[in-house]
Amino acid sequence: MIMQIKVLFFGATADIVGSRELVLSLPENSKAIDAFQKVIKEFPSLEKHKLLFAVNEEYSKGEELLKEGDELAIFTAVSGG
Amino acid sequence: MEKTFGKNYIALTTSPIDLGKIARRITPENCGAIVTLDGFVRRFTNGRETLYLVYEAYESMAIKEIERLVRQAHEKFFIEAVSIVHRLGKLEIGETSVVISVAAPHRKAAFEACEWLIKELKRTVPIWKKEVYEDGEVWIEGDRQ
Repeated sequence: MIMQIKVLFFGATADIVGSRELVLSLPENSKAIDAFQKVIKEFPSLEKHKLLFAVNEEYSKGEELLKEGDELAIFTAVSGG
Repeated sequence: MEKTFGKNYIALTTSPIDLGKIARRITPENCGAIVTLDGFVRRFTNGRETLYLVYEAYESMAIKEIERLVRQAHEKFFIEAVSIVHRLGKLEIGETSVVISVAAPHRKAAFEACEWLIKELKRTVPIWKKEVYEDGEVWIEGDRQ
């Protein structure tokens, strides 16, 4: 079975990808890190940056399983303030 | 985007921030001090001149993270109320980018909580700043691993 998730980009990662949001199709039982690997393959220059993930608005190490409709955000270390 | 919980107020806004209004939102009657941080746009960073800044946020997650920090601050410090507002979009030199106000019965806890809150905000809240220079621009990346 194939599921779809939403991938969000902000700031530097949005500039690299050229978009703020992509829909990604993945096999069921994929992890956030699997989704990330798929995105990296398409946009290798993301790897020049130190990246953080969030799954459904919570910081993640990338190990949990994703489910249909989940929201994965990929961004550089934050710099607000 | 804004949220009120208990006596606390947090918001993300693209409009200029009225510093006094934010601080004066929180004046519980058992308090005697409000400590307010006014973070504003710096012209010179390590000698290089910035023309203006652009802030961007993962807004829904940023509000959640700020709320988490405020709740943690209440556990760690003897404080009564917190108000945090972060500006987004294009900011000119000298404009306020972030305000953190902490009300407490006594000032010491308010100073400590305010310092802790800005340190944690800069480390964990998903907001990014782009510095725009005469000859280019760069998204600033924090040092969190």
